[in-house]
Amino acid sequence: MMTIFLEQILNGISTGAVYAIVAVGMTMIFGVLRAINFAHGEYYMLGTFGGWFVISTIGLPYPAAVIVGVVVTMAIAYVIGRFVMQRMIGMPEEGSVVATLGIALILQNTVILVFGGGYKFFSAGYIEPVFFGDIGIAQQRLLIIALCIAVFVGLELLVTYSRMGKAMRAVSQNVEACAVVGIDVRTVVLSTFVLGTGLAAFSGILTAPVNVSVYGGMGEIITFKTLPIIVMGGLGNVRGTLVAAMILGIAESFVAGNFGLQYRDSVGFVTLILMLLWRPHGLFSARARF
Amino acid sequence: MTDSSSIPADTRPQTRDLRTPVSILLFLLALCSPLFLGTYAVHALVIAMIFLLPAHGLNLLVGYTGMLSLAQAAFFGIGAYCAALMATHFDTSFPVNLLAAVVLAMAVAVPLGIPALQLRATSFVMCTLGFVIITQAIAKNWISVTRGDMGLSGLPKPTFSLGGLSWTASTAQQSYYVALGLAALATFVFWLIVRSPAGRNLIAIRENETLAESLGVPTWRYRLAAFVLAAGFAGAGGALYAHYISVASPLMFQTLYTTTMLIIVLGGGSGSISGVVIGSILFVALSEGLRIAPELRMIAYGACLLLLVFRFPQGFAPYLSKLWDRIGGQTRKEGSA
Amino acid sequence: MTVKTERAILRAGTLALFSVLALPNLVKAQDIVVGLVSPNSGANARYGAFAQRGAAMAAEEINVGGGIDGRMIKIIPADSICTPVEGVSATQRLISQDEVDFIIGDICSSVTLAMQPLVEDAGKLLVNAASSNPEITYKAGVGGYQHSFRNYPTDEIRAKAVAEYAVEKGYSKFAVLSVDSDYGRGAITYTRKYLDELGAEFVSEDYYKEGEVDFRSVLTKIRNSEADSIMVYGLADTTPIIARQMIETGLAGKLPLLGNGEFSAEATIQAAPKAMEGAIEAAAWLPGYDSEGSMAFVADYKAKYDGEEPNNHAYGHWETMHMLAEAVDAADSTDAEAVIAALQGIQFASPMGTITFDDHHQAIRPLLMLEIREGEPVITGSVAGEVTYSEQ
Repeated sequence: MMTIFLEQILNGISTGAVYAIVAVGMTMIFGVLRAINFAHGEYYMLGTFGGWFVISTIGLPYPAAVIVGVVVTMAIAYVIGRFVMQRMIGMPEEGSVVATLGIALILQNTVILVFGGGYKFFSAGYIEPVFFGDIGIAQQRLLIIALCIAVFVGLELLVTYSRMGKAMRAVSQNVEACAVVGIDVRTVVLSTFVLGTGLAAFSGILTAPVNVSVYGGMGEIITFKTLPIIVMGGLGNVRGTLVAAMILGIAESFVAGNFGLQYRDSVGFVTLILMLLWRPHGLFSARARF
Repeated sequence: MTDSSSIPADTRPQTRDLRTPVSILLFLLALCSPLFLGTYAVHALVIAMIFLLPAHGLNLLVGYTGMLSLAQAAFFGIGAYCAALMATHFDTSFPVNLLAAVVLAMAVAVPLGIPALQLRATSFVMCTLGFVIITQAIAKNWISVTRGDMGLSGLPKPTFSLGGLSWTASTAQQSYYVALGLAALATFVFWLIVRSPAGRNLIAIRENETLAESLGVPTWRYRLAAFVLAAGFAGAGGALYAHYISVASPLMFQTLYTTTMLIIVLGGGSGSISGVVIGSILFVALSEGLRIAPELRMIAYGACLLLLVFRFPQGFAPYLSKLWDRIGGQTRKEGSA
Repeated sequence: MTVKTERAILRAGTLALFSVLALPNLVKAQDIVVGLVSPNSGANARYGAFAQRGAAMAAEEINVGGGIDGRMIKIIPADSICTPVEGVSATQRLISQDEVDFIIGDICSSVTLAMQPLVEDAGKLLVNAASSNPEITYKAGVGGYQHSFRNYPTDEIRAKAVAEYAVEKGYSKFAVLSVDSDYGRGAITYTRKYLDELGAEFVSEDYYKEGEVDFRSVLTKIRNSEADSIMVYGLADTTPIIARQMIETGLAGKLPLLGNGEFSAEATIQAAPKAMEGAIEAAAWLPGYDSEGSMAFVADYKAKYDGEEPNNHAYGHWETMHMLAEAVDAADSTDAEAVIAALQGIQFASPMGTITFDDHHQAIRPLLMLEIREGEPVITGSVAGEVTYSEQ
């Protein structure tokens, strides 16, 4: 009984680690832009496609493909950031929702147009399982958990010590004051956006070996998973996002293990609504910022 | 569109006011269009009017109360399921199903609205999105009632019966008149709501909630009322949808439906009745027009969304009211450049 | 941008939009025009793409061979995004703007159900090649819609065949892990009908969302239950994901998969050979099926589309297009009534065997039973797919 319990926790953590890397990018973008990026999952998809493409055409080894996937996505994100995201600064909510939905449509269907709509098999990575007693787990998942920790340590250091990180925090607290003291809000938005989407792409290509199937519309499901996490974690809160992602991962794992897989996708939003009733401002914040 | 020979703006004499004849002309045009439009165009207009109903509700929230709710799609779905279940189980006629759909959607909106309206901005948006996801999960898993993913199909076309007489809207043209009647009625109800003192209070809440509250407007109650009324509009749209498309299934809770309603309101211009009406027609013209290039359709659609947000942030309502003023014989300073 | 130019653009754009609305696709008068409704954008485009390619290939083959009495087949694709309202609009456009002769579509059952009355009223002909909701043919033929046909097995035949075969092999405690759609749910509903009769039971029931990638939790649960096999009615691209995670959770080689979901595709077996060993599937078609026509189809498809392995939707639409062409040829007309009569009496020699239609316009076609043995699909039998229509 105890082993099952532990195994379900492990399952939850391995899911939560994936959610955490995608969601933290989204929450940082929200922090500086005050806009929900409904296209976030598409960058996850772009990263995966980038990796799949170089592996299947020129046979690049997996680690190199990870880098290519992330770099290509960041380059695309840079262009989108320059022409779209920077113009969203200070825009009302409905505008940013429609704009990011528009970007999601463009990215998704451009990929379908270029690579064909059918699903592809992703066949690289480290999928052999290792066993701890009865509990087995793919090496790739252990890698994801380790890299998730590394990403969060890195982000903590970045926002605490680097100049850019401090600027990000400043912008997420008060845009007007930043403009007054001479912080270039547009640059901060752009670099946060490129970093955040890069993390989504990183997560996508890291999970591709265990998720196998690669197709243009795969990002949508990820966007919807991410939304309750960033609200629960407290919008713009990096550490909170990690905790919220883990909570959601583990909660989903228990629901799937005890009630049924079909209820799993409601878990995030049910938890979200319950939590909003109890703590309307996120798990870790005493007052509402957004 | 600028008339170069027009009289300078400052004198501004009331030239001919053409608003009444133009309105009558537009009305006649709407009545006669099935006579000269093809079945496909008539069908597209029916779709426009189906989505106009939830869009009116969304406009009440976004345009008049300043709340962005994504839950309209959930109430639209509830309305559709309600009408579909009534039609299949009790064989009731369309007007009864329509009424039941409106009532049920509003009844569900009350318990959802009470907690949700405690929230602000992004949290509220997420919460309303959650309603859609959860409603879909219920539609999928409450199989004994909704038949789950099998959906409810083969729903009858709208039928009206009075005494021994009965009339069924079986063709697209006949459905057009049903939809037109319903859309006109809904638009009229919407106009009554926003022109009433309550409507003015809603606008006051949108402009400055704290100020409105200090002036004695019970803001929370008004916002709840707006949320519930919006759900009623969506429920009516859902009932019409179910009877026209003839299928109610969990696929109705896809993002596409939410996006559609948002685009109609933002494209038309939130806070404007005629804007939203025009918005629904423009939306259908856009989405159907793009079918000419199937591979590029959704890409172009996405690009149009960006264009809308950045080029026409107010939607088309300002252009519309300018045109209207000109028809009414008033010229404004702007526009003669 | 000045106000003036902006306005000009606005006016031009609106004008263009409305004029495009009224513009039909360009076709030659003598062409036979077939509208193909399928999801081509959004998440379900991954199945719609195969349908398009399969049908396009068939049309090309027919046209290269001289068409039907010299008349070429032209396909007009239409996007349903797997949404009823979009599907209905697309169909309406095909019927009244493009004036197609026939319509093939859709993959998603709800869309097909919404298309049926429309096609019926317009007096055209709808042939479905991929929706499995039983309702579609309950309502067709003598059931009502004279203009609807389905060339795809329903869930009921398949469910019964698999359950019987599994019990014969000694499995009786099924853990259900199917896709959360009418197809996955439907197959399980029909299996349940036969459980008592067969002395089998469901140990657990789980349905996964389309696009789901994480099965560890549910597989852990299944491993710790009494189940002796896993019943999967799933999506082609999800089967390898489940198989790989079965290896991870230590289920591979212990519990076989039963059901349907392209178990026998080469890529699926390669993804997790250990988990796929012993899997039992009932399929209308499989890429490795050893018949001349089927092998040629796979080879041609791969050659035409950069080595992409075709799936059942590609095959189904390819076959349906050929069948429709034969019916048109036999009817010697594109008149819907004549072709309906031809289809009702057709004895179509498909690579999988002869296909006929019953009075509900449901295809009666053989269903293959196969088992994965030592990494190779082995065909162990064939079931005649006949539906008994009862009160639902």
